[in-house]
Amino acid sequence: MRFPHLALAIALAVRSISAQAETAQQIIAASDQVRNPGEPFRSTDTLIEYIGGKPRNQDVLVVYSKLNPATQQYRNLIRYLEPPRDQGKMVLLDGKSLWFYDPNSKASVRISPQQRLIGQASIADVLTVNFAIDYTGTLLGDETIQDPQHQNRQCWHLDMKAANDQASYNRVEYWVEHGTDYPIKAKFYSDSGRLLKILYYDGFEQRLGRFRPSKAIIVDAVDTSLATTVAFGEVTAQDIPEAWFQRDYLPRLQAQ
Amino acid sequence: MIARWCTMAMIGIILFWGVAANADENSDLNLIPQGVTQPQSPTPEPPTASAGNQRIYLENAAVASSLRSNLLVPFPPPSPPDWQERLFLDARKQWQVNDQLSFTLSDRFNLRAESDIAVPSHENVINEFREGYVSWQLLERTYLDAGRINLKSGAAIGFNPTDFFKTRAVVEPLSVDPTVLREDRLGTLMVEGQHIWEGAAVLVAFAPKLYNPTAVYNNSNLRSLDPSFDRTNANDRLLIKGNVTLYDDLAPEFLVYRQGNQTSFGANVTESIGQKTVAYAEWAGGERSSLIDAALRYGHETGTLPPNASGALPEDPRRHFQNQLSVGASYTTESKITFNLEYHFDQAAFSRRDWDNWFRIGAANVGSPSIPRELWFIRSYALDQQEPISEHSLFLRADWVDAFVPNLELVGFINTDLYDGSSLVQLEADYYLSNAWTVGGLVIADLGRKHSDFGSLPQAGSALLKLARYF
Repeated sequence: MRFPHLALAIALAVRSISAQAETAQQIIAASDQVRNPGEPFRSTDTLIEYIGGKPRNQDVLVVYSKLNPATQQYRNLIRYLEPPRDQGKMVLLDGKSLWFYDPNSKASVRISPQQRLIGQASIADVLTVNFAIDYTGTLLGDETIQDPQHQNRQCWHLDMKAANDQASYNRVEYWVEHGTDYPIKAKFYSDSGRLLKILYYDGFEQRLGRFRPSKAIIVDAVDTSLATTVAFGEVTAQDIPEAWFQRDYLPRLQAQ
Repeated sequence: MIARWCTMAMIGIILFWGVAANADENSDLNLIPQGVTQPQSPTPEPPTASAGNQRIYLENAAVASSLRSNLLVPFPPPSPPDWQERLFLDARKQWQVNDQLSFTLSDRFNLRAESDIAVPSHENVINEFREGYVSWQLLERTYLDAGRINLKSGAAIGFNPTDFFKTRAVVEPLSVDPTVLREDRLGTLMVEGQHIWEGAAVLVAFAPKLYNPTAVYNNSNLRSLDPSFDRTNANDRLLIKGNVTLYDDLAPEFLVYRQGNQTSFGANVTESIGQKTVAYAEWAGGERSSLIDAALRYGHETGTLPPNASGALPEDPRRHFQNQLSVGASYTTESKITFNLEYHFDQAAFSRRDWDNWFRIGAANVGSPSIPRELWFIRSYALDQQEPISEHSLFLRADWVDAFVPNLELVGFINTDLYDGSSLVQLEADYYLSNAWTVGGLVIADLGRKHSDFGSLPQAGSALLKLARYF
């Protein structure tokens, strides 16, 4: 007689877990809409690397992003404006197709997803990515944490696991504010489970139709003397042709 | 009562746990450098988008080399220099005239002094006019380019069989890293047209013959201000290449190349495997003569070798369908090191029997200068053509960004001849002092026994120190 009760309990538990998973995914998707404009856009991002609290290097990148309707994930085209030694270099990221183009060698080299993470200020830090596509989330709970301005934020605490090979990180802890869906904080982990980076979103302001973060502060968790700020500069809606997102177009991309 | 106490205790533990957890989370804020969280923290004005259209830098490099004596096959004069000092200005710039028209210029102007060059002499000034071409967008995604163009192909790093315009294009490199050789080389005077579809592209390039082939240069008779079109336009050359996305991210590239009366075919394919690996393969094949026969014919044609001299090495004047292959993979670790491992095969290059003949005949004719000269000419011809000297070789390259400390990049590679185990090794370190300044050094070593590919070279190794200022 106990067996049907047990089955019912398991069924309810499973249903509860799946409902929770759905909720987590919805929270992540809502937060994606805060971080990412739905229309194709171009932004000029300035990355400043700090060593021991002092600014050391500056990278300036132009990022072209456009949603791929088939995958619901963004395609990104990144062009270096600074530092001078890297001027004109480009990175194309379209699903599994990742290419690095150097105008000095005029060669396009295919790179692996892991190569997005190279450098204190890495390509992964400026990519436009829908987390809800690349990660499967679980709701861990409800927490009040402080943002970079030391303001308390009531957040959902989510645990996200990579759902495909295109995910930049194997695991992400993510805090999203109740009500606003603002992303507040993220922690990125390697395949081996090592904490790599701690990221805070900051400076929410009106951009392309709604309040979005204008800045990210990233602390290197492996070497905590290293930190990087990413200022998401001017964001402009721009029609981006599909043909831009292929390696043969990289040498033809004009600065605009 | 006990139940209520337990419940209260549980709630207390949970609350404490939550507070402790949040306190721990908030402690992460202490890792943020002071000043960067201010709402009005200053962000420098970003450069204009056109900044991406240029790279200009000034570099000074000093090189010291160690030379071998008592070579098994004596190296004909002039010997490589044992020191060199080089100051150069390197510039690449693209001017966008309007939406349809652009002009690109790429050049390196060198001032150099060497142990074997008199000062002052015209050899102290070497200008490498790499590129100068006009690009015109005829229609939407249809382009016509004309001028001196560096047209490159190939998926591999260490050896690119399909990079047909690489021959004779490298002037006097400071590094032997294949990625650097691809960057600093002369373009070919050509006209090329390209159309890009969504998921496909086709390119056709034609380079006319403007000069007769000239002798292989050495470091003491390089052209000074001459644009050296004799290196790049000594044959009529036609290249057609295209790629198409078959599915997902698989987009192989196919090539047909015709030079003189020889036709070659080629293919490139790459595939991403998981998070950290990219596999790639590059193949070219066509009717060719062996390296020995091609080199000797070139030597006779350019007057480097006596026209009627019979070859010291056994020749095979027949042409066969010869294959070249470069197959490998890159792997990037969590510690930011990218490894490339490749196997290289060149059917026209030296076999084990060719090597045995080279050493046996060379060692037996030390007293007859013409024989060693001819033997070394074959090797200098292969180097000039950027073709492997040996049929089978293995290539491993590692690139470590932020090695040990931030802003230090270490790059090293080893190219091993699989017949004798001898190797060419290069280790390079670049430290980015700032966005503008880079200081670095590299060490090159030819390792191996006397009776081996790299062990028989006149240069045992060299060391370079450099300082670069980017603008």
